[in-house]
Amino acid sequence: MPHPPQSRPFGVLTPLAAGLVLAAFATLPFWAGKGLVFLAGIVLVQIVFALSFNLMFGLTGLVSFGQAAFFAAGAYASAWLARSAPGLPFILSIAFGAAVGAALSFLIGLVALRRASGIYFAILTLALGQLIYTVIGKTTALGREDGLIGIARPVLDFGLFRVDLATGDRYYFLLVVAAAIISGALWWVWHGSLGRILAAIRQEPERVRFLGVDVRRHREYAFLISGTMTALAGALMAPWSQIITPMIAHWSYSALPILFCLLGGSARFWGPAVGAIVFAGLEHGTRNMTGMAELVVGGALLLVVLAMPGGILGTLARLSGRPAREGAR
Amino acid sequence: MLSEVLPTALNGLVWAMSVFLVASGLTLIFGILHILNFSHGGFVMIGAYLAFTVTNRVPGTASVAAFLGIAVACAVAVGAMGLVVDRVVFRRLKGVDDSYSLVATYALLLLCEGAVKSGWGGNFLSMSPPEGLGGALFVGDLFVPSYALFVIAAGVAVYLALDLWLHRTASGRILKSVALDPWMASLLGINVTAIFTVAVVAGFALAGLAGGLLAPNQSLSPALGGTYIIQAFGVIIVGGIGNVRGAFLAAVLLGLVDAFGTVYVPEFPGIFFFVAVAVIILFRPQGLLSGIR
Repeated sequence: MPHPPQSRPFGVLTPLAAGLVLAAFATLPFWAGKGLVFLAGIVLVQIVFALSFNLMFGLTGLVSFGQAAFFAAGAYASAWLARSAPGLPFILSIAFGAAVGAALSFLIGLVALRRASGIYFAILTLALGQLIYTVIGKTTALGREDGLIGIARPVLDFGLFRVDLATGDRYYFLLVVAAAIISGALWWVWHGSLGRILAAIRQEPERVRFLGVDVRRHREYAFLISGTMTALAGALMAPWSQIITPMIAHWSYSALPILFCLLGGSARFWGPAVGAIVFAGLEHGTRNMTGMAELVVGGALLLVVLAMPGGILGTLARLSGRPAREGAR
Repeated sequence: MLSEVLPTALNGLVWAMSVFLVASGLTLIFGILHILNFSHGGFVMIGAYLAFTVTNRVPGTASVAAFLGIAVACAVAVGAMGLVVDRVVFRRLKGVDDSYSLVATYALLLLCEGAVKSGWGGNFLSMSPPEGLGGALFVGDLFVPSYALFVIAAGVAVYLALDLWLHRTASGRILKSVALDPWMASLLGINVTAIFTVAVVAGFALAGLAGGLLAPNQSLSPALGGTYIIQAFGVIIVGGIGNVRGAFLAAVLLGLVDAFGTVYVPEFPGIFFFVAVAVIILFRPQGLLSGIR
């Protein structure tokens, strides 16, 4: 049986647009200023953050309000290891960040998914996330309220030659490559057999249970994958921003991926990426006006939720007469 | 021993009643409309800023009576905002997914923060309690600020008023019947849309009242809305969402847990609130009391 064309409501347009955006990110340092390059690096991390989150949110239908805890776990764990053992290869500290995020999301997923659902799950994850935020802000080894500062950009040692990522825009290019690889991996999960089961669980948990699938276990998988990838995004961000504060564990940071997903369209794989880019544009455009950022972002979000339920991509698809199919998209 | 426990219990109760004042309107709106209103804290904050401005601009508002009058005026003003929010936002959220209404109202919270930042700026502001509530009294050898007693009394009064309204009056019973089964209520000739509007306006008025009453002894900043809402979320979820009695119980319980936790484990202040919320949801996901009571 041929694969149904699941993620391609726009035909060849989707890969074309994704390629163009990737090209724009990859060539940015050659035609944009330093400030914009820094912002683009943050956006790349946020795209990974939001795509990972959407695996659980848009695909599986779980609304977690504590995702920032995993982001912070990855960022703090990798930065802490890199500072404590400066000689260690970069890949190890990144892997350590992801591993801590994985352990944390495994535990929280196990507990939270067993007991709560719907709005209770959202508030339970919010409470657990705030718990981690409070603990980080009061832990001396993690710099308490001030966070960790002066996080070094690493040197990659390939045996024959070494690449010092501290010079020029090299770490930025690493971010582009890493974001592309992780997005590819998430795309594969979303469109593979696991992704289809998760989408089926979102639509009809009861029927999926009758088919002999362990619904809770699959929700746990989604939570675990999402949390681990989010921690990876956090671990990648620490050397880029070079300073991390407890704010990245705060609930308002957990709200970010939800905003990105709904703004871009949570029903589509690339929706959160579109949302993250548009959001960054809105914030960048209003950064010098007090209070304007909140008014513009809040207004735009309200407009999207009330008038464009499919987000930007959903509305584009509707306008072009190509409504989304049900299931994994 | 007692001299240690009593001040801590007092702190816990003051916290509990402040949060209950915020949570009461939130849980009322959820009980009737099943919308978890993320922006509620934002409207409490707007109420507090309005009270701050009126108190500072209008001379002769230092008395307790004027303070109460201003709080009621804030309730009316924020209640009127509720009318607009109901028309523009809440009516469109019927039947949509919980997460959508949570995000739509989060957008409203951002709008509240933006409005406060553009109207009052991002700096910390503060106002003092009215004359007569600024002092303190001694109960035995326990030092009790009058304003703390006032907050506790205000919380209890709002709780009693809400409880009486919901359970002992005809309009309260109509409200409850709409919460239980809007369709059936509409068949009985009840104008359900109007009842929804009443609930939203009442909830927002409670937010404005809470803002006006809690404005003193508080550093007002645009982050206040977010701080309030997280605590209120914990309280209404633990109490049984939509349940006013449950919210009152949960506020007292969580307030005492957090106050004593902070005294005995001073390294992590504020952590026990979240621990208690998480543990209670784990063992009683539906909350202490469930359904609209």
